[in-house]
Amino acid sequence: MDNFTRISTFKKAIRSKAFPLLILFVIMIVLFTALAPLNDANFLTTRTFISILRDLSVPGFLAIGAGCLMVSGGIDLSQATVAAMTGVTIAVSVGWWNLPWYAAVIIALLIALCIGLVNAILVNELNMMPFIATMAMSTVTRAVMMLIATDQTGQMQGSINYNNPTLTLIGNYEIGGFLPATIIAMIIAFIFYGLLLSKTKFGRSVYLIGGNPMAARLAGINSKKTSYILFMNCSLMGGLAGLIYTSRVKQGSLSAMATDQFTGLTAAILGGISFGGGSGGMGGAFIGLLVIKTFNKGMTIIGASSYVTNVLSGALLLAALSFDYYSQRRQRKRIGA
Amino acid sequence: MEQYLELSGISKAFPGVQALKDVGFRATGGKVLALLGENGAGKSTLLKILSGDIKPDEGKIVLNGRELSFRSPHDALKSGISVIYQERQLMSAMSVMENIFAGDIPVKNGIVDYKTLKRETKKIIDQFGLPIDPETPVMFLSIAHQQMVEIMKAYRRDSLVIAFDEPTAPLTDTEIEILFNLIRRLKEQGKIILYVSHRLKEIFEVTDEIVVLKDGRFVTHVNTAETNEQDLIKYMVGRDIGDTYANLSRNDKYGDVLLEVNNLTTYAVHDVSFSLRKGEVLGFAGLVGAGRTEVMRAIFGADPIISGEIKLEGKKVEFKTPKDAIDAGIALCPEDRKEQGLVLWRSIEDNIIMPFLDKVRKWPFLDFKKSERVTIEAIKKYDIKTPTIDKIVVELSGGNQQKVILGRWTSSLVNTKLLILDEPTKGIDVGTKAEIYQMVCDLAKEGLGVIFISSELTEVINVADRIIVMKDGTITGEVLREEATEEKVLALAMASN
Ligand SMILES: Nc1ncnc2c1ncn2[C@@H]1O[C@H](COP(=O)(O)OP(=O)(O)OP(=O)(O)O)[C@@H](O)[C@H]1O
Ligand SMILES: [Mg+2]
Repeated sequence: MDNFTRISTFKKAIRSKAFPLLILFVIMIVLFTALAPLNDANFLTTRTFISILRDLSVPGFLAIGAGCLMVSGGIDLSQATVAAMTGVTIAVSVGWWNLPWYAAVIIALLIALCIGLVNAILVNELNMMPFIATMAMSTVTRAVMMLIATDQTGQMQGSINYNNPTLTLIGNYEIGGFLPATIIAMIIAFIFYGLLLSKTKFGRSVYLIGGNPMAARLAGINSKKTSYILFMNCSLMGGLAGLIYTSRVKQGSLSAMATDQFTGLTAAILGGISFGGGSGGMGGAFIGLLVIKTFNKGMTIIGASSYVTNVLSGALLLAALSFDYYSQRRQRKRIGA
Repeated sequence: MEQYLELSGISKAFPGVQALKDVGFRATGGKVLALLGENGAGKSTLLKILSGDIKPDEGKIVLNGRELSFRSPHDALKSGISVIYQERQLMSAMSVMENIFAGDIPVKNGIVDYKTLKRETKKIIDQFGLPIDPETPVMFLSIAHQQMVEIMKAYRRDSLVIAFDEPTAPLTDTEIEILFNLIRRLKEQGKIILYVSHRLKEIFEVTDEIVVLKDGRFVTHVNTAETNEQDLIKYMVGRDIGDTYANLSRNDKYGDVLLEVNNLTTYAVHDVSFSLRKGEVLGFAGLVGAGRTEVMRAIFGADPIISGEIKLEGKKVEFKTPKDAIDAGIALCPEDRKEQGLVLWRSIEDNIIMPFLDKVRKWPFLDFKKSERVTIEAIKKYDIKTPTIDKIVVELSGGNQQKVILGRWTSSLVNTKLLILDEPTKGIDVGTKAEIYQMVCDLAKEGLGVIFISSELTEVINVADRIIVMKDGTITGEVLREEATEEKVLALAMASN
């Protein structure tokens, strides 16, 4: 007991909450591979995985922003609305107002940042609960979005089409003709934010603030600044997700990505980022998403009805959450805390 | 029939530590049995086993001839065992009465009977003679009163076995007196009482027998009347440490004035003025709620200042946040480790480098080699009992948690000019206490100004060079160590201005 070493990274990974998910992932691959031939299909192909990763990129960006914020103990319920808002803004700017695509993108992302800024102000300066503040902001944003989506005749459009090949390319470009560029972007983003959280000063402060904001403040950690950055980053990630989505489907839609918000949050929680803050990380969030999307894809490939898929994915989520609850309780028990 | 509680062969291992190994002893009714041992000796673990919170790997618990085994804390309560934990377990947003009656809230027609609840709570509070309103949420009470609520909660259950884990750590003399009277009353009722404390004075005052643990093993079981401090320390530490205070090697050369506080007024303190020179150890004594902590928080930029000025090395300073104060060379070791000091679910390492993340950087990342080195230094300096540097703090024993905070603020990363220690020895064992006193003196020799707040009178009048006494947010007097006696300081602490 004289050279107090660290626990090895390997041991840490095994003990982390994301590890059981990884096992689940492997089990699913085996099962789907075995079951797919019954439906005259093939699961274990490059195409399947590329398609899974492609499905993952939009909620991936959402999960990155929401996850970082949650580690610090915050939450943002306006993120998906911001994503939709970004899409609508871009589509309207390009399709109706004939702005150049880059101007549209810049305006839309600036709006996203502003919404994040307002969230941060509500929480930090007016001391509102993040839950309430961001929910209210989500409502306000939705109203503004409807206003933007109202055309000259006074009709509100549910979806706005545009025609701009460059803009469309962002979400649809495929490297070498088969690998979507968005996958690469998403993976780079996960690695970047993963390193940011686990290896940098900023990341460490995020965990410490999430763990005990009062102690962090008394130790000179600037929690206000961190909170501003995280809220704005969360919105910006929502904006990027919206950009990719809008580009991919060639239109802006008022109802886009409504469920992706929860996919992102669920993935983050599955991967070990708890609502209370102070734990989990990007790796876990990624694996969480991977499990959810692989499940959905696999069910489609083996030809399950969407009804069964929904029921089972609900059950899967419940199982994962109760496992999480159980292991947390066991840990607390071990500690007697 | 004589009531008794017998433990035998109790063992418990945590990853990397054998917290208890084959511990056994017998406690009898109508007597107070002290559990004594260094930080990490296994005292709290033993009590958590008694309360059903932790399962022992091996061993038997027998109460009045009946062997007990618990599946949950609820079972232990039902068997008549109440444990008052070292770390408070209250629901802080709930009222005092709801906390005291938690688990047994009186109901009438399926609805909470607030009238009865309030009346019964009032009865208990009156028996204790405390100025607490049953309806206040617990979080608005002082730490001392929160602790008393914890004790009332156990008292209310009227259990046969009552175990106290360092109950006096957050209390001052007034509440300690109330507690001791209560313990004597419980004793007369024939209850079996276990008592853990690092304060030997209390052990001699209130206990009848003493069981000493060391590194998780049983060392001895003696009658309090037949032993003395020196022997006990030897059992605990394994060696003689001599007279703590007489052996201190103090600083006797002061430098320039380091800190000057003029007419400081905040929401909690009024017109406070004092000064501190480099190399001086300035003690702050007073009862709980005297405003000592609040003065320090204001200096540290943690509480807003209404009026008055603070000068550091002759220059007026205005700290908006603790960060400003830290950058200017001030370190504050807060009194409440769980709430204000530590991030419990993070590692020892994180908790130590917390204020100095800037200094453990190798762009763009953190410098993990350096932070590891700094952490190991602190672990060695204070002999923190842990197998690895990334053990999460919540898994450490109470005293070892306190050492992590001390290790943080006295680490080699700090460029501290002024070190403020608010109750630094709370929950620390005798051997380490002596080391902390010496460390305080050594830092003074290096030219630091040290402010030492303590509610233990003996400690503060023996360690500090000069003692300022506060009451109700104002300074009521000042004494030099040479002239300080407990009576004198106490008189000032209770003075009616
Ligand atoms: N949940 C846990 N996980 C791992 N180790 C633990 C856990 N709880 C306690 N320990 C270890 O067991 C040992 C005994 O701890 P315990 O809390 O019983 O000590 P103690 O005698 O109460 O000390 P103190 O006087 O500091 O309160 C310590 O080394 C501690 O780090
Ligand atoms: Mg203890």
